[in-house]
Amino acid sequence: MSDARIDGYARGLFEIARAEGNLDEVEDELFRFARQVEGSDALRSALTDEFVPAARRQSLVEELLGGKATATTTQLVSMVVGSGRGRDLPAIIDSLVARASSAKNLEVAEVRSAVPLTDDQQDRLKAALANATGKQVNLKVIVDPSILGGIVATVGDTVIDGSVRTRVDQLKSRL
Amino acid sequence: MSISTFASILAAEDPSQTHSWIWPEKYELLFGAPASILIFGLLYWKAGPVIKKGMAARTERIQAALDAASAAQASAADDAAQIRQALGDIESERARMLDEASAQAEALLVDGRARISAEAADLEAKADADIIASAARGTDELRAEIARLSSAATEHVVNGQLDASVHNDLIEAFISKVGASR
Repeated sequence: MSDARIDGYARGLFEIARAEGNLDEVEDELFRFARQVEGSDALRSALTDEFVPAARRQSLVEELLGGKATATTTQLVSMVVGSGRGRDLPAIIDSLVARASSAKNLEVAEVRSAVPLTDDQQDRLKAALANATGKQVNLKVIVDPSILGGIVATVGDTVIDGSVRTRVDQLKSRL
Repeated sequence: MSISTFASILAAEDPSQTHSWIWPEKYELLFGAPASILIFGLLYWKAGPVIKKGMAARTERIQAALDAASAAQASAADDAAQIRQALGDIESERARMLDEASAQAEALLVDGRARISAEAADLEAKADADIIASAARGTDELRAEIARLSSAATEHVVNGQLDASVHNDLIEAFISKVGASR
């Protein structure tokens, strides 16, 4: 899909979430769902398979998110998947998150951690990243066991890698 | 009895015989001698030129035969000379061809020796390269296997050490490090 169309969908989702008054929550849920879609080939195939009827794909979304996310989030994802844009869902959501962050004068900080962060850790990490980058950040935490331990933070083009995975890979390279 | 006496007795007894057993009668000499001279003269006059002409023709034929024989001899001598020259040419050509064949054979031998030497050197170099490559490959494979086993062992050990406390320490260390940077 073209960037213009992705931006168009992102703008639509953004306006709907803002109109519903739960932009932050929806944005966060959408971001985590997008990362789940990226990390699961089976989920991505199920949501993008053109041979599966749109109604079936939408019911799959509702089964996945129903009760775990807000109704707005579920309906927005269902709408995108039902319109046959499931393949572009992560890009649309990333664009939405960037737009929401920009609206709040924040920079998106994608943080990958092997284990969930406590609220206190998220607050201190947000402050640390703001101190390190000189920008206020919109923290998006992704639990990613593949990094083994530690944290990988991406703010714009800056990547701060404190993961065990990277250290193990470096050790492997030296070996 | 002597011979003359015996001849006289025979002549007296036969009238067709002369009185001398050597000389004819006188009248025979008188007529016979001119007649003979006449006959010989006629013969010389009429038959002489014919005989002379025949002799000249015969001489000419003999001379022509001699000339032809001489020409044939000269031709034969020329042919013999040409044959000898041809034989000489054949001999020199044979010698030249033998020399050329010898030179070609020598060149082929030299070329063959050089080619075989070069091929042997190539084979030797290839064998050396193969040995070195095999050794390097074996070393690389061994190194890769050691690295793979070490990596697996490292990851296994690290995973075994990563409990909740370690995770928390890593997160706190990251926050402290990032917060301290700028």
